Amino acid sequence: MSLRNALIVYRKELTDSLRDRRTLISMVVVPILIMPVMSIGIGALMIEVVGKAQEEIPKVMILGGDRSPRALADLMALKGVQVVPSTGDYRQQISDKKIRAAVDLPSEFDKSLEDGRVEVVKIYNYAGDLKSGFAADKLETSLHDYSDHTVKQRLEAHKLPADLVTPFKVQKENVAPPEKVSGAAIGGFLPYFVIILCVTGAMYPAIDLTAGEKERGTIETILCSPVSRTHLVFGKFLMVLTAALCTAVLAIISMGVSFRAAKAWMASAIATGRGGADNPLNFSIGIKAIGAVFFMVLPLAVFFSATLLAIALFAKSYKEAQSYLSPLIILVVLPAIAGVLPGVELNAKLAMIPVLSTSLVCKEIVSGTFHWSYIGLIFLSSCIYAAAALFIAVKLFQREDVLFRT
Amino acid sequence: MGAQPHESGPRSLFIGLVLAKLWNPFAHARISISMSGQPLISVRDLCKYFRTFHRREGLWGGIQNLFVREYQTVRAVDRISFEIEPGEMVGYIGPNGAGKSTTIKMLTGILVPSSGVMLANGFVPWKQRASYVKTIGVVFGQRTQLWWDIAVVESFKLLRRIYGVSQRDFDERMELFHQVLGISDYLNTPVRKLSLGERMRCDLAAALLHNPPILFLDEPTIGLDVVAKDHIRKFLHAINQRYRTTVLLTTHDMDDIEELCRRIMIIDHGQLLYDGPLHELKQRLLRTKQIKFALRGSEAASLLGAALSAEGLESEKVDEMTYRVRFDRTRISTAELIRKILAAGDIRDLLIEDEPIEEIIKRIYAGEAVKEVSAGAPLPS
Repeated sequence: MSLRNALIVYRKELTDSLRDRRTLISMVVVPILIMPVMSIGIGALMIEVVGKAQEEIPKVMILGGDRSPRALADLMALKGVQVVPSTGDYRQQISDKKIRAAVDLPSEFDKSLEDGRVEVVKIYNYAGDLKSGFAADKLETSLHDYSDHTVKQRLEAHKLPADLVTPFKVQKENVAPPEKVSGAAIGGFLPYFVIILCVTGAMYPAIDLTAGEKERGTIETILCSPVSRTHLVFGKFLMVLTAALCTAVLAIISMGVSFRAAKAWMASAIATGRGGADNPLNFSIGIKAIGAVFFMVLPLAVFFSATLLAIALFAKSYKEAQSYLSPLIILVVLPAIAGVLPGVELNAKLAMIPVLSTSLVCKEIVSGTFHWSYIGLIFLSSCIYAAAALFIAVKLFQREDVLFRT
Repeated sequence: MGAQPHESGPRSLFIGLVLAKLWNPFAHARISISMSGQPLISVRDLCKYFRTFHRREGLWGGIQNLFVREYQTVRAVDRISFEIEPGEMVGYIGPNGAGKSTTIKMLTGILVPSSGVMLANGFVPWKQRASYVKTIGVVFGQRTQLWWDIAVVESFKLLRRIYGVSQRDFDERMELFHQVLGISDYLNTPVRKLSLGERMRCDLAAALLHNPPILFLDEPTIGLDVVAKDHIRKFLHAINQRYRTTVLLTTHDMDDIEELCRRIMIIDHGQLLYDGPLHELKQRLLRTKQIKFALRGSEAASLLGAALSAEGLESEKVDEMTYRVRFDRTRISTAELIRKILAAGDIRDLLIEDEPIEEIIKRIYAGEAVKEVSAGAPLPS
């Protein structure tokens, strides 16, 4: 009997919400649409930018280099750049993107090399500009090759072995699983989106079921029914939780599908020569990780639903509830973002902070690391927060100065 | 206005027959046994205080409000006591903000009184709320307990589950409402598409779905047209007659009271000003009556005028041949005045009217008649 009434209320609110366009949009349409838009958008942007940058043959300018025909010839022979005559202010031209980079050869560079004098060759580029970077990289590689070539010649002249100046080689090797690499980069955003969508999905029904009810004046009629106030708030809470979880689950599914599609699309783009050499979406998130993320988000969703419900209940009208909840969104977004930032590492103290801890642990889960002790600790702390929030919501529902605030 | 509100037209007879057929005499067995000989609702020294925040005016006041808050205690209901017997139909009237709705909210268990005792149907409403509300029906005229966007019948089904009404009882009740309230035509219409009158019928049906012995109505006829009002009144009357459903209704429409209630309670500033039979209130406060008379010829007018002014009265011209005179019953009896009028002129027609109840209530609200009501002044002969 006890739970039955809460379930009746839940069923009523659910039926009601399914007929409400605003709830449906925030609960279903937004999470389904946002993911393909995001992933395909990012993919398309990368193909566009990287492809264009690589397609274009950057113009470079060679400054100085008088009486250094050998070095000049080497640079002129460089493929993938177009050498333009040196005229005007090269700095200005780089800033204006008329040329992408400039190289400054000291005068009589050939002679300096022969004499063994160490000169400085300067490359001018516009830091942060992708195309300028490409041009400068090409120039730098070419000059390095020229330098290596010179070393080799010198060693040969002295009849010395070629590896004299290479006492050892350094090699970097990745031990992280393939997910870890991508997880750190893009996968880290998965829990962030899930958390944010959890809040936005719950927000609308939370307002509608409390302040909205007050505004419509139906709160009195509901309070007249033989459903106890605790059951009433439980039924409403279940509805808000459903909205939160529905949004989160749909977001996860939509993300899985659209990432797969975007990945395939980018792979084909790369195969046909468009786009960069690396597929930025070339990673996968295992079912286990998705399940674990959902499991960790569960108590957080309870916490959000109860908190939103309690705050919205305090408001007299829809508008008032919205102005209370908007700052709350920022309070949720900030720790969620902090969790995505590189360098923020999980520790026992951070595990106690509600949203941040979940964001951090989910980032780890997505990148393939399962710290079971932290997962347990965070799940437990989230559950405690959730229970506290729910308790407060139930208590507020018993107070007539909150229900009938004037 | 007639004191006998119920007309026994063919429709009412039909309603009566249907009700008699469907009525389950054992439905209230528990209640009628436990409550026999006792008032159904008894309220003693009921108080409800609200602490409100006093806002200062203007910009400077607004800034002050942010830092120093002044609170005021508003006595919405101030030590009221009354008892209602089973089967009574009581009108509860008062100006806006008098404390009517607050009383109803306490009687329905929504609000907890600040002090006082209340027992309704054997329950303390705010303590045993969930069990208590199963024995009451509530209609708030300005709001609906029906589901706004969904067909009416869905709301009924929901209420059936909430109140734990068996399917058999539910079907029976629906059949009754179909016939008496005529709601079958729009059972599948969403509530938002119903007219106010249709919605009110559905709300009444919803409130009575679990066959409650007590019905609280907060302005049930507000905003309705004459026909819809009449329909609702007839239904309430029939329910009261057949089921002995106890009804407490608040209203601003005196026709509701005159047609439905023998007893009225008047509240203002949270205090009960009057609690008693409607006719007694009229007797106490009906100081003035009016006589309308139609003359046969215009020459009688001046003669009459002279006769009336000898009594200190003045006649008003209503139209060409009709005049009206208002008089104080404590100063001259109706019979004597009529005799004087008849003696003075050639009278074709004569009509004696009471002061409309609205006028009396207006006087009470304005504070003029408070003394007479509460002090129980001797009735004018």
